[in-house]
Amino acid sequence: MIESNHDNIKVLIADDEVEFASTLLTRLQLRKFDVSTVNSGEAALRAIAEYQPDILLLDLKMPDMDGLEVLAQVKDDFPKMQVLILTGHGSFEVGLEGMELGAYDYIMKPVDLNRLIEKMMEAYRAKNS
Amino acid sequence: MKISHAFYKKFIPDALKSSIDLGLKKRSYHQFRVILFSIMISIAMGPVIMVAILSYNNYDNLVQKEEREQLEWHLGGSIKSIEQMVESLKSVVQFAARRDRYTELVTDENLEELYIRMKQQYPFFADLGVIDQDGIQQAYFGPHDLKGADYAKEAWFKGVFDSGVYISRVYTGYRQVPHFAIAVSNLDPKTSKLWTLRVTIDAVTLQQFINTIKTDASDDLFLVDADGILQTSSQLYGKTLSKFEEKVTVGVHSNFSQAGENYFHAIGTITNTPWSLVLLKKRYIHNTDWKLFRRNLYLIVTGCTVISMLVVYTLVHLLTSLIRKADEMQLGMLKDAEHTNKLASIGRLAAGVGHEINNPLAIIDQKTGLIEDLLLMTDDFQHKKTIEQCLKVVNQSVDRCKAITHRLLGFARRTDIQAEDLQINDVIQDDLQFLENAMLYNRIKIELQLQEDLPHIKSDRLQLQQIFLNIINNAIDAIGKDGDISILSHLVAGEVRIVIQDNGPGIPENILPHIFEPFYTTKETGKGTGLGLSITYGIIKKLGGDISVRSHVGRGTAFTITLPLENKNND
Repeated sequence: MIESNHDNIKVLIADDEVEFASTLLTRLQLRKFDVSTVNSGEAALRAIAEYQPDILLLDLKMPDMDGLEVLAQVKDDFPKMQVLILTGHGSFEVGLEGMELGAYDYIMKPVDLNRLIEKMMEAYRAKNS
Repeated sequence: MKISHAFYKKFIPDALKSSIDLGLKKRSYHQFRVILFSIMISIAMGPVIMVAILSYNNYDNLVQKEEREQLEWHLGGSIKSIEQMVESLKSVVQFAARRDRYTELVTDENLEELYIRMKQQYPFFADLGVIDQDGIQQAYFGPHDLKGADYAKEAWFKGVFDSGVYISRVYTGYRQVPHFAIAVSNLDPKTSKLWTLRVTIDAVTLQQFINTIKTDASDDLFLVDADGILQTSSQLYGKTLSKFEEKVTVGVHSNFSQAGENYFHAIGTITNTPWSLVLLKKRYIHNTDWKLFRRNLYLIVTGCTVISMLVVYTLVHLLTSLIRKADEMQLGMLKDAEHTNKLASIGRLAAGVGHEINNPLAIIDQKTGLIEDLLLMTDDFQHKKTIEQCLKVVNQSVDRCKAITHRLLGFARRTDIQAEDLQINDVIQDDLQFLENAMLYNRIKIELQLQEDLPHIKSDRLQLQQIFLNIINNAIDAIGKDGDISILSHLVAGEVRIVIQDNGPGIPENILPHIFEPFYTTKETGKGTGLGLSITYGIIKKLGGDISVRSHVGRGTAFTITLPLENKNND
């Protein structure tokens, strides 16, 4: 059976790849995360203010807004929120730039779900320590 | 400017154009050599030849002028001597024919006595004759019986009364011996009639005299009359009374003899005689001075020519090989630049493809993950095992694709270079530690020739490690089992050079130009992405260095990496 003890962790997925986001949403829900998705930068900023997730899984390339801009804004407004950059575009140094802006880590798509959850838990623990 | 530039370009031979202007045409080094040689030789030899021609002409004129002057002076002197000689002969005759002696001389006995007296002093006097006003020879003494001969109709007889003295040309006369005559006329006071004393003189006199005044044996000196009949003998034209073939014109003329020798002939008239004196002289061009001058001139010009030829030939040879090398270098650089550009654009393309494939791949990955999740929550059903099996293979394939896309994305990496002071030899040693087991297992010997006092360089340790690891790994793969790898490091021209050489099978010539291109691999599918060397290439360029490869099939491959002491690319 799938391990399921994450119901207290709120996760927001911001990714313009709808299929990717929705599938990841389902899989994380199966693992009892409190998950929702948005498909644009603007929507992400609104959802964050409303929903205040513990962890933001942020794509770097979205049609309306650059992921790094979203990241900068989020870190300004919610310094304690943990952001994991999860992107199929981007490059290594964009990742580094993201980490300088305060992202917790940088993960390249495609990613193994278990490794992603590991990272998320790490970030979550870091947030609460 | 542009128009005139294009205009000139039309006239510049291909061989002298820059290799870029040449376009597709190949420079003809033969043409280049010929043009350069001709230009340089003309520049070098033109002045020499001009000076030689000028000095030849000047010297020629100078010597000719001097020669002519000498000739004229010589001729003048000779003419004077002859005139004096003729004058003295004339005086003798005139003395004998004093006006009152007609009656005395008209008797044969007295004439004979005069003849004998004269003959004593002038042995060449042949005969004497006394002629009256009517032209009848009244008395004669000589070898012929000419008494009573009538000269009234002869031209000279009329002339002698007009001028008082007459000198004849040389003729053979009755005796068939060349001689000439001097006639003097006078008025007899008793009879008041004109009379004439005529003396015939052997032409040998003239010959002897000419011989005495001739100073140079090689000269030809002789007398001619107005019609060109020789009055004395000539070396060139023959005996007395032969024909002188030139026109008798006063002055100095230059001419060729029948034998082809160059002559001056100087001609001057002898006053009060029918004669002209001819002096033939070989021209100065037969002289030693002139010969010496010409020989020296010839030697100098020939010497200059030979030296110029040698120097110019050597220079042209050197220049041609320099130009050839420059051309080769330029072409090589163009090719290199082309290759670099090609690699760069392939790199950009690869990164782009990586991005585009990565997202769909992520979706496939998530979808299979979800299916697996759902299968876990579902009871057994028919084909469940097969589906699980399929999903496993899909996952494996996704992983393979992921490996490729992630490496492709590596092209776009502009990772900051973490420059630190490092010793290349240490980096190589570190890498070898990683590979120790692999080499041991494959029985590969490593030979290190690392320059001990190699200066430290400022570069990125991790990147360098990746480079060397990559190339040494390739070498190990190439060798397979049993072989040697040699690594050499040294300082060359302010750069650190590392040569990594293996004695593996080598890279075929048709593959060699492509080895730095992404996805170019000769390994079997799945074993290599074909990205290792292109990433290596990218990193080395980023570090400001360069990499080149030489390979011989059957003998091995050598990669040469040069790295600057300090990277100037990323300032």
